[in-house]
Amino acid sequence: MLNNSSNNDKVIKIFSGIRCLSKDQLPRYLEGRLTDVEKHLVEQHLADCDLCFEAIQALEKEANTDQYNDLTNKLQRYIHQSILPISHVQKVAQFTKKERTKENLLVYFWLIAFAVLGVSSVYVLRGHMRNAPPAPPRIVVSPATQAPATKESTEEAAHTEKTVTPQPIITTNHATPTGHASPATTSPTPNTTATPVKPATAPVAVDSVKLKQLAAERAAKKKAKLDSIAKVRAADLEAKKQDSLKKAAAAAAAEKEQQDRTDAEKQANAAKEKPVPPPPPEALKKEEPKKEVPAITNSDENLYRTAMQLQQQGSINEAMDRYRRIEANGNGRYVEMARYQLAICYRMKGQMGKARRMFKEVIKMDGSLKTAAQQALDTM
Amino acid sequence: MHQQLTSLSDKELISRTRKLKDREAEGVLMDRYSHLLVAITLPQLHKNPSLDPNVIFPGLLQRLSASLRTQSIYKANEWMLHIQRGFMAKQEKIVPFYPSREVRDFLHIENVVEKASTNTIDRQDLIVRLEQALQRLPEEDREILLEFYIEQKTFADLTASKGWNRDKVRQQLKAAKNKLAKLYINQSHVK
Repeated sequence: MLNNSSNNDKVIKIFSGIRCLSKDQLPRYLEGRLTDVEKHLVEQHLADCDLCFEAIQALEKEANTDQYNDLTNKLQRYIHQSILPISHVQKVAQFTKKERTKENLLVYFWLIAFAVLGVSSVYVLRGHMRNAPPAPPRIVVSPATQAPATKESTEEAAHTEKTVTPQPIITTNHATPTGHASPATTSPTPNTTATPVKPATAPVAVDSVKLKQLAAERAAKKKAKLDSIAKVRAADLEAKKQDSLKKAAAAAAAEKEQQDRTDAEKQANAAKEKPVPPPPPEALKKEEPKKEVPAITNSDENLYRTAMQLQQQGSINEAMDRYRRIEANGNGRYVEMARYQLAICYRMKGQMGKARRMFKEVIKMDGSLKTAAQQALDTM
Repeated sequence: MHQQLTSLSDKELISRTRKLKDREAEGVLMDRYSHLLVAITLPQLHKNPSLDPNVIFPGLLQRLSASLRTQSIYKANEWMLHIQRGFMAKQEKIVPFYPSREVRDFLHIENVVEKASTNTIDRQDLIVRLEQALQRLPEEDREILLEFYIEQKTFADLTASKGWNRDKVRQQLKAAKNKLAKLYINQSHVK
């Protein structure tokens, strides 16, 4: 029936939302003073809106619209006075509130910042105190008290930084076992406790004083045995030499005899005084003490021992002097030990660079103290 | 500022009041409906002379502003009527406002129409769908809708031609619209 496009467009009007009647539309509708289009729009709206329809019905019953006008004016004035001014006051309040919260936030921020700073500084200080270098008197602590803790603590020392300081003392014990053991425990046999025993005593002496004593006794016995064997062998050698000399003298001419004798004497002297051929096998010394020449090593040993004593007593400089002398004399085994002790002395004095260099040299020498030096280097 | 606010729609004013806590927008909204509030309250004031308009209206405004912050309002006029009725019936009790199913259907279609006004394709689609829904309406309902909306007959014309009073005409129109809305919604579900 209504199929043209203009009518189709109007279908949409059925569901188009229209605003409620305004304050001046309402009386005009009631009085019929609206245009046709306006009236149609209002009626469209009235069909949907209960509020407006009710208002129109109520006003139609009203004979006099004075009360309505009066009340609406009052209500609007009330709204203007109560709500709108409040909004302005509220805006100011909101602004001040914003500012205040800003300030508060700033204050909180600084408080928190200072608190964090304080806590962190305390933490850092604590850490510093914990990691601070140890007091010097600690180093001078008597070795006897420190000795029992030796091996286990050395292993622990590798893990914890705290035990860095006691280590030098431990390593001194470790490195100079005979020096500690011989003067303290086996004082009656100071000369006999010579080089060959050191490797045997070194690990044993570590545990306790008793062990040390036992080790020292064992070492003394061994040395006594070895010494006696060496003496017997030396005597045999000399006898053999003399025999051969005699035989040669008998066989050779009278002139040659003299030369031979002088040669033999020279050989004997060389054997006694300068062990140029035997000393090179320093490593062999421990295993083959037969070829050893005790006269020269004795002086090194004495020097070393006195140096150790001096070091223990606290006069490091003098001890170092002696160690240097041993180093300069150049007897392999003792040089190594002297270097090691020198390194320890440097470390005690705080000259870490020199100590490190010394330790490295010891390692380079590839002797029995290599592992100890390596350990000391690692923990430095 | 006030001038700008008066040109805003109800929805925008409500959202401003809520989100920005803008009391000014709330004032503009109340101002917009103040005369209608007075008009619908007048019969009750006449009926019950003990009611003092100087007390009633501020109380009503307070109730409205409290409800404005808490309730979801789809249509300001319906919400106001509901609150006013609740307030006049029992001042102590606050009855929350829930829009009915039909009202929501209506609202949905109104939104669709509003959107289609700027999009010709949507508009054509909507017109076709509404035509289809109209064809399925009972003859009586379709007739009254077409007379009222398309032939632009007034309430007075309709009362004269149908022999009903204005109230009846309005009820018939409303019922027909509801049916149409239901048909349209069901159609759109099928699509």
